[in-house]
Amino acid sequence: MTIRSTMSRQGRGYALAAMTTASALALSAAAGLAQDYDPEAVINIGSLYEPQNLDNTAGAGQGINEAFNGNVYEGLFVLTDEGEVEPKLVEDYEISEDGLTYTFTLKDGVSFHSGEPMTAADVKSSIERVTAEGSASSRKSSLAVIESVEAPDDGTVVVTLKTPSISLPYNLSYVWIVNDAAEDISSAEDGTGPYTLQEWRRGSALSMVPFEDYWGDAPTNGGVMFQYFTDATAQNNALLTGAVDIITSIQSPDALSQFTDNPDFTVSEGASTTKELMAYNDRVEPFDDPQVRSALARAVDNERLLQAIWGDYGTLIGSFVPPTDPWYVDLTDVNAYDPESAREMLEEAGYPDGFSFTLDTPDYDPHPVVAQFLQNELAEVGVDVSINIITANEWYTKIYQQQDFEATLQEHVNHRDIVFYGNPDFYWGYDNAEVQRLISESEGVSSIDEQTEMLTEANQIIAEDAASMWLYLYPQIVVSTSNVTGYPLNGLNSQFFVADIQKAE
Amino acid sequence: MLGYMTRRLVILLLSLVAAAIVLFVLLRLLPGDPANALVGVGATPEQIEAARAQLGSDQSLLVQFVAYLGDLARFDLGQSFVSRAPVIEEISRRLSVTLPLTFAAFFLAMLLAIPLGIVAAVKARRWYGLVLSVVSQVGIAVPVFWLGILLVYQFSLTLRWLPSGGFPLRGYEDPGRAVQSMILPVLTIALIMTASLMRYVRSATLDVLDSDFLRTARALGESRTGALMRHGLRNAAVPVVSVLGIELSTTFLGAVVVEQVFSLPGLGSMLLLGIQQRDYPNVQGVLIVSTLLVLLVGFLADILQRVLDPRLRKEGGR
Amino acid sequence: MSAAGAAGPRRSRGGATYLLGLILVGVIVAAGLISFAWTPYALSDMAGSRLEPPSPAHWAGTDRLGRDLFTQLMIGARIALVVGCGAVAIGGAIGMVTGILAAFATRFADDALAAVFDILIAFPTLLIAMLVVAAREEASLGTAILALGIGLSPIVGRITRILTKQVLGQDYITAARVSGTSWGAIVIFHILPNIVPFLGVNLALQFGLAVMAEASLSYLGLGAPPPNASWGRMLQEAQSTVYTAPWGAVFPGLALFALVIGINLLADGLRDRLGRSGRDAG
Repeated sequence: MTIRSTMSRQGRGYALAAMTTASALALSAAAGLAQDYDPEAVINIGSLYEPQNLDNTAGAGQGINEAFNGNVYEGLFVLTDEGEVEPKLVEDYEISEDGLTYTFTLKDGVSFHSGEPMTAADVKSSIERVTAEGSASSRKSSLAVIESVEAPDDGTVVVTLKTPSISLPYNLSYVWIVNDAAEDISSAEDGTGPYTLQEWRRGSALSMVPFEDYWGDAPTNGGVMFQYFTDATAQNNALLTGAVDIITSIQSPDALSQFTDNPDFTVSEGASTTKELMAYNDRVEPFDDPQVRSALARAVDNERLLQAIWGDYGTLIGSFVPPTDPWYVDLTDVNAYDPESAREMLEEAGYPDGFSFTLDTPDYDPHPVVAQFLQNELAEVGVDVSINIITANEWYTKIYQQQDFEATLQEHVNHRDIVFYGNPDFYWGYDNAEVQRLISESEGVSSIDEQTEMLTEANQIIAEDAASMWLYLYPQIVVSTSNVTGYPLNGLNSQFFVADIQKAE
Repeated sequence: MLGYMTRRLVILLLSLVAAAIVLFVLLRLLPGDPANALVGVGATPEQIEAARAQLGSDQSLLVQFVAYLGDLARFDLGQSFVSRAPVIEEISRRLSVTLPLTFAAFFLAMLLAIPLGIVAAVKARRWYGLVLSVVSQVGIAVPVFWLGILLVYQFSLTLRWLPSGGFPLRGYEDPGRAVQSMILPVLTIALIMTASLMRYVRSATLDVLDSDFLRTARALGESRTGALMRHGLRNAAVPVVSVLGIELSTTFLGAVVVEQVFSLPGLGSMLLLGIQQRDYPNVQGVLIVSTLLVLLVGFLADILQRVLDPRLRKEGGR
Repeated sequence: MSAAGAAGPRRSRGGATYLLGLILVGVIVAAGLISFAWTPYALSDMAGSRLEPPSPAHWAGTDRLGRDLFTQLMIGARIALVVGCGAVAIGGAIGMVTGILAAFATRFADDALAAVFDILIAFPTLLIAMLVVAAREEASLGTAILALGIGLSPIVGRITRILTKQVLGQDYITAARVSGTSWGAIVIFHILPNIVPFLGVNLALQFGLAVMAEASLSYLGLGAPPPNASWGRMLQEAQSTVYTAPWGAVFPGLALFALVIGINLLADGLRDRLGRSGRDAG
């Protein structure tokens, strides 16, 4: 009882503080409708992913997508939390017969936070920001198919492609539409989204307030504050003590029991796209031999590993494709756990006494624990693993850029990233002509069904080839206090749309 | 005394230059090309080359070093690779957390440790003297983060009196919450520091109590406590003061850990993040500023020691 | 008379704390030694299930991978002792030699060395050293120890210098010099006996600090990499389960605590003994 009353008093304190700063906004929302939520409540969101700067083409990290995608900036399209690609700033669009020309009609009456109206010129410069030479956007390579962007009039954008790309709308959902007059967006913003950035204090928090002239529906809350933590335990404590209302993603199952048995909190498991895998360098011996890779896959009990890391949460998928991708099929039976056959396969492949290799392991959770697990499991079939701990930056330089490694651990967070197996120059160097053909041709087809069929086949091939060792799919767990609703559960591509979040009075 | 201070000041300045050199060399010795941190995924060799030119890392070491000293003299610590923001701005913002944290903890610790340490020495035979000694022993052996976690458990999670971590967005413009979020971190560092300072105070006081001149004073009819108060404390203070500077610099390592436990946006968490992200300008900036601060404290401690110990003063004037 | 009055009770209490210190350190040393020959399980043996609480099968419970925590504690004891002894030996040797040299040197050299100590102390040396450890491809416990030892050396040096200067200011040193005693003899017969008690206490503290520093750095993720089962690493790995499976953090914490207290008590006892004989010699 005492705990509750303290918490609600704190909650009111925050709401009052927000009102003084955003009193003008309060008027529009207080339309006198009978509402069971507080339209002025500020939602406090706990996150572990602080952006490094505010520009998603300048290596800002996944935190910027979480805070800004769909909240501060919008794209021509949006990837909804259900995984659908829908038009956002586009009213309508047409694709030419040959699939090479997209003509977008822009939505009318959209204005930037600075007050300027959005025009085709802004869209053109926004797309070119992503494809520019110095861009560090994760979609740069997927958008390299763009030949040119034209703006024949203020309301129309024409994108011409080098080759057909059925994923263009999906890829454009990553492209923020930024006012072309904005100078530096690494510490300020000028987008079209329902919120404007109020303040960002590095190492601490980032706050946003509703944008008065937003073209769409007004948010159902009076603003949000992302509070950043460096440590999951501190983040959980903040939720327990009412300092935050929601945690965007739980990184360890161990703290969950503090929330699952407590009516003050809601624990929801959504769909995840984050995959933990051991990537071999498929160019080097012995990992260039599919038989060796298959043998190692059979030597590791993924179920036990998942249990160790995540308890009863998470899923095994047997490949790189999560259930939210249209081309998902359950492949857990391919190269399933069977240490006996693993030993036989190693012998057939010419390694009766096993071999040894170095596993470059990023220094953050869960990789070191996973590495130790793999070390134990592979020792059972005579393969000797030595663990080399590296930082995230070294991973980027040594493995991603220089491709100087034998095997490594990494989590891949993106949706629809099977395309990486179609690129023989990617860090893991998987080189299979059939997979490459399927993946590149799937971009040029005219229907989603055809695309799905081809990519499903590619998915099956990489699984049988054991191109990498796919360990498990992370669970996506969001925890909130029980008076808060309306938040996204799936967090696809680390997005976290906040406009529909409601806090009960 | 004045001559000594001038000389000491010159040493301070030279030390700063030396520290700058050491840092420069150390950071250049680290493996990994900082230019890689500047450019994005899939950068071409030309882009990396351009990044090197931007950083000046394509220049000779000597040219780099001269430019570096010039920048330092103008308090220009460069731009963060990651955030592109001026390092000095970020540092001053972070100092507004770390300085109050460190100094509040330091003064609280002295406030507690000096009287308690003296009592522990003078009343070594009474039960409370013993208890104090035991407490200081226990305190020194508790890992900082352990104590932090314990305090959070008790005062945040169980009693809900104080926030478990974080710092308000508006900082000290939100004074109530800012102070609240500092209480537990300050307490964590102060308690650990009290324990170790108390040991020094107790040990130094015991030495003085056993010293010849105190015995003489007592033979002249003064009470033990009276003699200690009149003659002994100043002597006892000498070794303690010499330890204070060191204590303050260990506090810095403590602050890194405590900032981590309580998610505080201080200098320590900036350093840690900088190390993880290979953000050289940030790492370099934090190390320079913190070195400067600790050197200043060492300077003050030395002057104070002079004032307190007549023997050193005499020797200094030879 | 008063001196005897003060020393008497201290001697007996000194005996008791000395004994307690001896027992605590002894147990940890024994655990470390036994771990060479026997541990309940192999270090990497995932014999139990995930996060088992302490039981007859696993005396200190298990970690997330079901590995026995008591085994890790025993091996951790070995590592803690190596870290502490190694760092103090390195730091003590460098610090004492340079500290005494500084005290004896000419004014200029003294100032220079004193300044060097100040600079080195001012550096968050431990963090820089760990930065190097983390950056090197072959990070090892040895690098960590060396880094910690070098990090400690200026602290020892600074204290040695100040203590030595205090002794040098005493009248009997002047008397000894006048009577023709060599500097070497003065160091051995007058300076060391007088500075060792205070320095001994300090070195014990440094031992504790070194072990603790290793734990703090491991907590920050900058410590020696796995498979080194240092107590600091164990604490770090248990951090996310500290409220739900507290044994993972409690036992290594207690072990650290016992070792540091034990060493300090031992040093206190030594200090009382050496302190008396030091004074007698003086």
